[in-house]
Amino acid sequence: MTGKSPEERLALDSQSAIMSGLFEGAGYRYIEPEILQPADVFLDRSGEDIRLRTFVFTDPEGNELCLRPDLTVPSCRYHLEHAAKVTEPAKYCYVGPAFRFQRGGATKLRPREFEQVGVENFGATDRERAEAETLSLAIDAVETAGLESYTVQVGDLGLFDAVLAGFEMPNRWRARLHQQFWRPQAFRDLLQQLSTAGGPAEGLAGELSGRDVTEARERVDALLTERAIPLVGGRTVEEIAERLHEKAADRVAEPLKPEMVEKIKGYLAVRGTPADALEEISKLELPGAALDRALDVFARRFVLLSEHGVDTSAFQFSAEFGYNLEYYTGHVFQIATEGGDGSVQLVGGGRYDRLMSDLGAGETIPAVGFAVHTERLAAITGSIRDD
Amino acid sequence: MTEQAIIAIPSKGRLMEKAEELFADAGFIIERAGDARGYRGRLAGVGGVEVAFLSAGEIAHRLGDRSVHMGVTGIDLLREHIPDTDDKIDLVRRLDFGHADVVVAVPECWFDVDTMADLDEVSERFYERQKRRMRVATKYLNVTRRFFNRKGVTGYRTVDSLGATEGAPAAGVAELIVDITSTGSTLKANNLKILDDGLILRSEACLSVIKGDEIMAGPLRDVIAKLS
Repeated sequence: MTGKSPEERLALDSQSAIMSGLFEGAGYRYIEPEILQPADVFLDRSGEDIRLRTFVFTDPEGNELCLRPDLTVPSCRYHLEHAAKVTEPAKYCYVGPAFRFQRGGATKLRPREFEQVGVENFGATDRERAEAETLSLAIDAVETAGLESYTVQVGDLGLFDAVLAGFEMPNRWRARLHQQFWRPQAFRDLLQQLSTAGGPAEGLAGELSGRDVTEARERVDALLTERAIPLVGGRTVEEIAERLHEKAADRVAEPLKPEMVEKIKGYLAVRGTPADALEEISKLELPGAALDRALDVFARRFVLLSEHGVDTSAFQFSAEFGYNLEYYTGHVFQIATEGGDGSVQLVGGGRYDRLMSDLGAGETIPAVGFAVHTERLAAITGSIRDD
Repeated sequence: MTEQAIIAIPSKGRLMEKAEELFADAGFIIERAGDARGYRGRLAGVGGVEVAFLSAGEIAHRLGDRSVHMGVTGIDLLREHIPDTDDKIDLVRRLDFGHADVVVAVPECWFDVDTMADLDEVSERFYERQKRRMRVATKYLNVTRRFFNRKGVTGYRTVDSLGATEGAPAAGVAELIVDITSTGSTLKANNLKILDDGLILRSEACLSVIKGDEIMAGPLRDVIAKLS
């Protein structure tokens, strides 16, 4: 089935109008970012899943373009191009098409072209307040559109980072664990590896064991000259030497203690309502002041949500919950419901504080937002009415 | 099968000779239609079978979309062009020819990178410093994506390589490559090294047939029996 009938079009339009009207009423300015976007921006910044599902093509002058796979990056680019001062708070909302390749063919709940309605909130320095406001707005939007039964799933990547910060280990290991968060199996393998004694390093890293970075750099330089190896591949001698030096240091570093590994695994297994999760996390007796601060932030978010009149007692927190969009950095959430073949995600959102600076803002700009998958929402609310 | 069964044979080079030998040894003579440059032919004395002379890449493609039924091509190309190869294709016979490995190779000057795990870590730092992803030049886009995904490496972009892939890092159009190599000497000459766990697949020329009951019910049945 291709295209939309007049009836479907009308139903979708009125649903989108209800939601965007709500957003505009809440002070979000309606923008229309471009549908065609430079491909690089997406291919370089999105997670693997989005990367493989973005339609990329070349224009007659050889520029690589893509059909936007979502409206977050386009909204950021809009802000950077239009705002008089990019760090000033700005709130935008949008309604418009997005495009994603669907493996095995498109279906009604997995269309390859679909309409997103959403908001982005930039520059709000009271982060939890902005997070509570956007999540409450998302709930309002889907309820106003007619959604009756749904679950709100929440996660917090800031908590995870704070848990890691509390344990004594080389920074490099922490960075690797952070990076593997998205891949549960790879994460467990890495934990296992880091908790096993490495023994003396081999090869060049072994040779450099106990030497300082300057010596490592000299050794790398000498090797390149001696063996006439050209420096290609976009990394400097310093980068290569630094990492060799770190590898050498790692091998003699104390492996992660079994109780640390157990505590990290214990944290990742935490799930339940926000209140239960907080209690479970405190029972784990995880170390570090960073975690205490992160837990305060976590708790405050829910207090502020209550002030918006949102009942958070049925929210589902999962420590492992994150999106396969690597740009999220803190609070993440999704609103889902039971559909034809299991859980259907209707809204996805969260905080992405690094994206603006990655796109060239020059400094960190707090950013939080969400997008509603309107076709799915219409299919679900429509089918409920049909029943 | 009511229509003609099509056997695809490489249209040139040693691979074509090897394929013709394979059929000849089993008692099948491939006859070309028209002159020796013709792209169509048949097996002498076998009804209902047509022979098409195509490039090895095209043969893999067409086995994938089932527009040819049997063909001689490389395992690397089958894996690249046919998703879930093992569900779609049966291997009839290896030709013991065209042995080569598809591997991940990085610049030799990356003294700190020996494994895919190293590559994963370096790719994230690369992104942090340069605000762009590390690029992998390759003709094997699908094979590369599957392998990197399995190894948990995500911080990269593939760049479609049309010409000499091994030259991409030196030319500055990619940081590393995934390519086919038989002795590794071309990689070495281009100052590239294979990662310790960077062997993606071992390839060689093979005769394959598409899966399906209609194949064994058709004229190819006897051909397969004599060739395997």
